[in-house]
Amino acid sequence: MKRLAVSLGLIAVAMVLLLLITRPTGLPAGTLPQHSVDVSNGERLFNAGGCASCHLSTNDHSEPAILGGGLEMDTPFGVFRVPNISPHPSNGIGSWTMLDFVSAMQLGVSPDGRHYYPAFPYTSYSRMQIEDLMDLKIYLDTLPVAPDKSGDHALKFPFNIRMGLGLWKLVNLDPAFVTTVPADDAQLVRGRYLVEGLGHCGECHTARNWTGGLDHKRWLSGAPNPDGEGKVPDITSGKSGLDEWTQSDIDYYLESGFTPDFDTVGGSMVKVQENMARLPAEDRAAIAAYLKNLPGSPGSSF
Amino acid sequence: MSRILFSTILLALFVSSVALAGSDPILKRQQLMEDTRDAAKVIGGMLKKQLPFDAEAAMAAFKVWKITATEAGDLFPDGSGTGHDTEAKVTIWTDRDGFNEKIADFNTSVDAAIAAKPDSLEALNAAAGPVFKTCKGCHEGYRVEKKD
Repeated sequence: MKRLAVSLGLIAVAMVLLLLITRPTGLPAGTLPQHSVDVSNGERLFNAGGCASCHLSTNDHSEPAILGGGLEMDTPFGVFRVPNISPHPSNGIGSWTMLDFVSAMQLGVSPDGRHYYPAFPYTSYSRMQIEDLMDLKIYLDTLPVAPDKSGDHALKFPFNIRMGLGLWKLVNLDPAFVTTVPADDAQLVRGRYLVEGLGHCGECHTARNWTGGLDHKRWLSGAPNPDGEGKVPDITSGKSGLDEWTQSDIDYYLESGFTPDFDTVGGSMVKVQENMARLPAEDRAAIAAYLKNLPGSPGSSF
Repeated sequence: MSRILFSTILLALFVSSVALAGSDPILKRQQLMEDTRDAAKVIGGMLKKQLPFDAEAAMAAFKVWKITATEAGDLFPDGSGTGHDTEAKVTIWTDRDGFNEKIADFNTSVDAAIAAKPDSLEALNAAAGPVFKTCKGCHEGYRVEKKD
């Protein structure tokens, strides 16, 4: 009996310690480097990241993008409501400092010290360079203000306990790149940066493990469709992936939305492709080179 | 020569589609989509400079699209949402007005392409571009991708 009490006590202490260790903390002041911001690079990154695909005000297609949010993502964990990231001072992110923004993108921590859910794919964004994040923030600041108030997520127990996300991050948040590419191959390095970082391709094209984190052993090898029916395809160069596509086929698909067989892009990939079409040609070529260089994973079931 | 070849192939495709599909709306619309894609291959091949520009072949391809645009709306009756590995998404029936609007967009853009009678690669690009956009427009919300 006494032994049980001691065990329970130890477990409780361990839990408290773990939660303390994993409590949400933003980046320390002084993290930001000296950098003269470049708003046009910010716009390029905005397109590469497809920020608008999720954050655009529902049913709004004006240019430039109005990022009032409002999209509902119905997932097995519950309903996520996409927030307003327009420069509105209270309902958007207009009052955020540069450090707030970088902390959110790299660590998934909000300015008021809460963990963000990984529906916001900071696990990918954590691989971005701080200078690029600073440029992105400056570009977001130029977009129209939207007044919409963001709705709260409606998640099921135990996913509604934000503190638990600290443990999740301990296992699943790693800013290291997933694959290795030759450091002297500028195109592959750029392709990896876009695919594994800001482009966050892995978030849909990689299967998840039981913790809800991406299974790096099956990197980009396809996954069940988070929207329900169907599947998200394997985009490695393996047999079940893009084996029969040439590098320029991939490039053309990202630019035009057509497969080599002249089928068209569909589903949620349409918005992604349309963002990719706005990128400079060299970025699309870099993405194509990276994917064509990525071997298929042997255990892929897709 | 190539012009006659293209036109013959396209005509043959259409005839085969009618013969093959019979009266099952799922099979019929699947065949129609195949034909539509084959027509897109002709146009796309020219735009990618893999095929020589050919005004008549392009017009023949537009006319295949016109058949699809005219018939597609009737090929998704209630109860045709399952079977034959259909990739039709349930939204076709839950948001019929939205779906019909997409088909109407397709039809309008095809009419404009036909009326433009493109006589150069640049003109073809300008005429086909808006049609291509409507393909994606419909596949975005009304198709499920099931194939491997």
